[in-house]
Amino acid sequence: MIKLNDVNYTYMSGGPFEKAAVKNINLDLKAGEFIGLIGHTGSGKSTLIQLMAGLLKPDSGSITIDGQTLYEKNTNMRKLRFQIGYVMQYPEYQLFEETVFQDIAFGPNNMGLSEDEIKRRVHFAAKLVGLDDAVLEKSPFDLSGGQKRRAAIAGVVAMEPKLLILDEPTAGLDPGGRDEILCKIRDMHRRLGITVVLVSHSMEDIASLADRIVVMNQGEVAMQGTPHEIFKGAKDLKTMGLAVPQITEVCDRLREAGLPLPEGIYTVSAAKAELEKILNAKEKR
Amino acid sequence: MLKDITLGQYFPGNSLIHRLDPRTKILCIVIYITVIFCIKNFWGYGILAIFTALCIFSSKIPFSYVIKGVKPILVFVVFTAVFNLFLTNGRIIWSWGFLKITAEGVRLAIFMVLRLFFLVMGTSLLTLTTSPIALTDGIERLLSPFKKIGVPAHELAMMMTIALRFVPTLLEETEKIIKAQTARGADFESGNIINRAKAMIPILIPLFVGAFRRADDLAVAMECRCYRGGENRTRLKELKMTKTDVLGWVYVLVFAMLVFASNILL
Ligand SMILES: Nc1ncnc2c1ncn2[C@@H]1O[C@H](COP(=O)(O)OP(=O)(O)OP(=O)(O)O)[C@@H](O)[C@H]1O
Ligand SMILES: [Mg+2]
Repeated sequence: MIKLNDVNYTYMSGGPFEKAAVKNINLDLKAGEFIGLIGHTGSGKSTLIQLMAGLLKPDSGSITIDGQTLYEKNTNMRKLRFQIGYVMQYPEYQLFEETVFQDIAFGPNNMGLSEDEIKRRVHFAAKLVGLDDAVLEKSPFDLSGGQKRRAAIAGVVAMEPKLLILDEPTAGLDPGGRDEILCKIRDMHRRLGITVVLVSHSMEDIASLADRIVVMNQGEVAMQGTPHEIFKGAKDLKTMGLAVPQITEVCDRLREAGLPLPEGIYTVSAAKAELEKILNAKEKR
Repeated sequence: MLKDITLGQYFPGNSLIHRLDPRTKILCIVIYITVIFCIKNFWGYGILAIFTALCIFSSKIPFSYVIKGVKPILVFVVFTAVFNLFLTNGRIIWSWGFLKITAEGVRLAIFMVLRLFFLVMGTSLLTLTTSPIALTDGIERLLSPFKKIGVPAHELAMMMTIALRFVPTLLEETEKIIKAQTARGADFESGNIINRAKAMIPILIPLFVGAFRRADDLAVAMECRCYRGGENRTRLKELKMTKTDVLGWVYVLVFAMLVFASNILL
């Protein structure tokens, strides 16, 4: 689906504030995968996903999406961007139209779709993120923070991209809203079979959603693998200023205390199953 | 992309020029600008070039970096040159249809280009070597004698500090919004002028909304900390004139005198 080959990116190169944000990135994301991207603050996550979305031009290396290389002469970047949905950090700041409906329709409009198709997509996207039809006629500036966030995400979803990239879509939301939005993203991933890249600081969310986790550290990919593989290496994560899900922490402590628990447990249900196994074995004896 | 503009940016350092008192630098720049407009012949520009080059050299800022500051006004410079070239009356040395170039025009065009060029070089050297805070501190102190006649020196300086403080923030925000709308397929490059102007709306509206929100937040934050203008405020860094400043003054005055001498003698 998307392939990154030795990608480098430096902010303000040449000046006194030069900053190499992303270094020698090699990644290969398969179609339909749900990728969780984690890393300490300033590790280059946002930069990396903006490169993937074709919003920054790599200084060196290449990014290929479905066989088309970004920023190559005969690549139509605008057309290619229609296939990539990018939800920035605090996306509510992108709202600008008179009504929520018009704002969600901005992307589809740019794609040159028919009136009916735009309508269908707006309603589909609004429903998917959990916005009522009544909200669609309101001004986006009159909504609550959570509703704004949803409207902004809907504006990207309405383009029905094949690759959806989200930069901390739940930062600053209440727990209920957070779970709901993540749930909707998972639904979308399952129902539409799209590829999703999710940046998050919440290990719990990443653990429960991602098929594969990519760990960034100081601009480089430090680790990648299934949640099980990643959370086995709790020590390595901690040296990078990252944590493991709380349940993993609990299980690791219990193992240190002598319980025969396997490494790399990252969901409560898995932990429960393992603990029940141990308890049952004890009862039998 | 937007951050590549070096005009008005601060380049941290600890050179002779960086250490000068901001008041010295501001007044010297005023002298420098006055002198530029008084130069009457090419000798004067020669002296100006040497003086400016020495200043840049002692500021330890890469020469290419200072030159970059001139880039944004290049169009303006070309315009001025063309206007002066064709619209000055005098001895005609070339003509084609209604276009004519005069000897005086050529001279004036070259002078204008040089003037603008050195003007920008000089002022960008000021902002490159002086942090915005120091700059506004300097302006406040220079204006404070006028407080008696009702000039709100502190408030003016405060407003400038805030405005300067928000330039990078707004640039960053603009860049973010451009990215977000580009990702939604906004097209800023094609179409006629009207279409392009329309394409700016999705950027400008969020930008204004954001600016007002920030201004509101800042006002509340200042209010919460009981901010009350300039009366009896002490400051963390008191400005102090040092030997370096004396050196700076001597240097600039010698330069000004040389230029005036060249005006009269050569
Ligand atoms: N527009 C910019 N100009 C200059 N430097 C930047 C810019 N954006 C990011 N950087 C720098 O690049 C590095 C990587 O930033 P990036 O935003 O990619 O980090 P991140 O992993 O997304 O962090 P966070 O978790 O805080 O969002 C940081 O050191 C940052 O200071
Ligand atoms: Mg980020």
